[in-house]
Amino acid sequence: MDWVYLIEVLVGGLMSGVMYSLVAIGFVLIYKSSGIFNFAQGTMLLFASLTFVKMTENGIDFWTSLFIAAGIMVIFGVVTERYVIRPLANQDLLALFMATVGLATFQEGFSQFIWDSDVHGLQMSKFLDIGLLDPAPIFMSDHVPWLDILIPKFDIFASLVAGSLIVVLAFFFQKTKTGLSLRAVSDDHMAAMAVGIPLQTVWAVVWAVTGIIALVAGLLWAERVSVSFTLIEAVMKALPVILIGGLTSIPGAIVGGLVIGVGEKLGEIYLADVFGGQGIELWFAYFMALMFLVFRPQGMFGEKLIERV
Amino acid sequence: MIYRETGNFVTNYFKDREIFPLKFDKVVVILGLLYLFLYVPTTSEYFLSAHVIPILAVGLATVGLNILTGLTGQLSLGTAGFMCVGAFGTYNLMLRVPDALMSLPFALLLSGIFAGLVGVIFGLPAIRIKGFYLLVSTLAAQYFVWWFFNSYAWFLNYESSGVVAIAPKFYDYWGLGNFLGVDMQGYPARYLLALVICIGLSYFAKNLLRSNTGRNFMSVRDRDIAASVMGISVPKAKLLAFFISCFYCGVAGGIYSFLYIGNVDLMIYEVDRSFTILFMLIIGGLGSISGSWLGAIFVYEFPIIFTWVGDFIFQGAFNTAVVENVSNMVYGVFIIALLIREPGGFAALWATTKQKLRMWPYPH
Amino acid sequence: MSDILKVENVTLQFGGVKAITDISFNVKEGEICAVIGPNGAGKSSMLNVINGVYLPQIGTVTYDGVERQSINPRDAAIAGMARTFQNIALFQGMNVLENIMTGRNLFMKSTWLEQGLNIGRAREEERVNRLAVEKVIKFLQIESIRKTPVSKLPYGLQKRVELGRALVAEPKILLLDEPMAGMNLEEKADMSCFILEINKEQGITTVMIEHDMGVVMDISDHVVVLDYGKKIGDGSPSEVMANQDVIDAYLGVSH
Repeated sequence: MDWVYLIEVLVGGLMSGVMYSLVAIGFVLIYKSSGIFNFAQGTMLLFASLTFVKMTENGIDFWTSLFIAAGIMVIFGVVTERYVIRPLANQDLLALFMATVGLATFQEGFSQFIWDSDVHGLQMSKFLDIGLLDPAPIFMSDHVPWLDILIPKFDIFASLVAGSLIVVLAFFFQKTKTGLSLRAVSDDHMAAMAVGIPLQTVWAVVWAVTGIIALVAGLLWAERVSVSFTLIEAVMKALPVILIGGLTSIPGAIVGGLVIGVGEKLGEIYLADVFGGQGIELWFAYFMALMFLVFRPQGMFGEKLIERV
Repeated sequence: MIYRETGNFVTNYFKDREIFPLKFDKVVVILGLLYLFLYVPTTSEYFLSAHVIPILAVGLATVGLNILTGLTGQLSLGTAGFMCVGAFGTYNLMLRVPDALMSLPFALLLSGIFAGLVGVIFGLPAIRIKGFYLLVSTLAAQYFVWWFFNSYAWFLNYESSGVVAIAPKFYDYWGLGNFLGVDMQGYPARYLLALVICIGLSYFAKNLLRSNTGRNFMSVRDRDIAASVMGISVPKAKLLAFFISCFYCGVAGGIYSFLYIGNVDLMIYEVDRSFTILFMLIIGGLGSISGSWLGAIFVYEFPIIFTWVGDFIFQGAFNTAVVENVSNMVYGVFIIALLIREPGGFAALWATTKQKLRMWPYPH
Repeated sequence: MSDILKVENVTLQFGGVKAITDISFNVKEGEICAVIGPNGAGKSSMLNVINGVYLPQIGTVTYDGVERQSINPRDAAIAGMARTFQNIALFQGMNVLENIMTGRNLFMKSTWLEQGLNIGRAREEERVNRLAVEKVIKFLQIESIRKTPVSKLPYGLQKRVELGRALVAEPKILLLDEPMAGMNLEEKADMSCFILEINKEQGITTVMIEHDMGVVMDISDHVVVLDYGKKIGDGSPSEVMANQDVIDAYLGVSH
């Protein structure tokens, strides 16, 4: 048993798990505050990063592009809340989900219509002079003698970003008044309105924030897989992550991401022989989620669905 | 006005359950059937092969998805996976079972049953898992089925290109073609087979909707705890819905490969096809069989019409990327707009129109 | 008359909260038994225990001679229990007729294949059960709304439809959870008449949770009073109303 190899695989899995959880966090944020399963999360990633990339390619500098892209996402979030979510507020969750499916489709077409359908590479180290963005990997053996593995610096950067995002969001939800309002809204939005919580403002904030998270996640993903519509597939992979972690839990999204990331890598390496084919990772993540959910239908940290009769 | 309810008295419960109660409707349906069976087969090959037959295939899949998602409330993104099972099943049955025992219509239905069984397996988690979490199971089905047929080349008869063209001999049903002097591989014959299957299965679905089984499905969708309190077996209803729905999708997949494209090809059955059918379902209206057909026609034809408009009016200004993107934008807008204004989709819009017609010229 | 229902030493706990503590009472066949008590007393929970939606930690429910610690709600339905719910559990996607028809599902023996083909047994069953449903529709005077989607009905009518759905199952025992909640005087009078008639004409035992004392005194044969999950009264309406504990509970004397 090649332990070093195993560790390398695990670390790789963890890193890719972090990437998944970045997408998952956006989902969870919206679900936690409105009960809506936002299918458009992936297309938001695409739209955000495509906007950013087009700007930088046209010579606009990094920080300005970032700022403008973030601004556009905020506007998008507010518009979505106003024209898609609000009119549907009194319908059931299935309808809202389908609306996000519609939103996703629209956004997929719109992003590529406005900008284009080409693949755009993104290398943030060209813009930011931070050591961590340097594409060269870290040789762990420099630090721990027997650990002969390579960890791309970028993965460490991504993990740090994801980690800080979690901390900020967790703090936000638990400690601030707005966070409390968001939790109240997600529990029962009629009741929240009855106590004077401005529902529409809250939702607009949530969608705007999710847009920004999508921008961050989109950029990190783009660095790895370039900006193109295949970015949307990142969402499809993030789904089992969220569902394992529980739709209502932000830490759950992280844990779920790590579980899926590691599980996928391990499955691919060790189980591919058993099943005689590659591409096993396609469905393996989903199977893991399925097994999990059968035993815990609300996910690891999700709130248990209590139905009263 | 001909379109009136007056004079239409229901004298027994059978009459109350008629699908087309108004005389006008009955006449239209009969004329429609005559048109479909007698006139359409004589239209151009292009029309049949590029418009009619594919719509029959995807429309049937939409009806299938409707039974699962629209009637029973079980969200599914695995539609294309189940279609894939049907297509591959039909191919392998035709290839490997001796000709004397197997023919295309039979193979289509049998492979539908395979698809149905696969559906039941992936539907088992639905007993425990509810709501959005269930997406995992159907997506697992979608990806697993794809991977499965991709990995085991036996299913494609070791065809290295990954695509199998369907041999002409597969189209003849026990020599019927020779007997009637008709080219069974020709589009009119293919069309008629697809039409018969689609009409038959749509009729079946419509009956199901209005029957006890249909009501059980809907009760599971609306309030499953109350349903079980009334004696309805919720697990049984869910699994049955999966079976029937995936049966429809399997047959639709067989029709798509055999009667439309003429190839068995994994690329046809990827996850975006599942989404397309979901769009057809939502736009057409959940819970309505006729809605599924309307939705299918709209989603299928829109890009074609849009391209034609581009060619005709703007001199070919719209390339494929533009068409695809605009189509997606249109689908998205339609879905959202319909959900806001008319959640019942095109079917509800149509029903409202008919209602207004019945009242015309009075507003209500 | 024998006891059709016997609740013995039932205790129901949700985590640290004891919803029901050691409750026992009997219901005679053919009587109307009202379960009353302040809000949160455990009345709905009691009903849920009887028809198997909740599983009590301790205690048994003897129904129709069979003693059980738990029952599957489906089996309860098959055994002849039908019920309505406090917050109305109608199927919002269907109309009145369809909702009430679902109440007949245990009588439908045809397979889905027959139903899809609309042949023979399925057709006849649909007709026969429709007949039974129409009788109930006529009884409840809701003919004019039979094709109306239930989501469009006012609260009072929805409750009536729910009663119809329970009735149509030809139950031995009817469990009604606040059948008159939210109704005005006229609607209550109508509902009381229906409940009385169902009980007297068809002999269906009725256990109902009710808040309106006037209704309780008027139509019930037997009253059980709950407070904080415990039984504090059990007897005829007049006996119970004279019970000091009951009076204290309702007037809010601290204990």
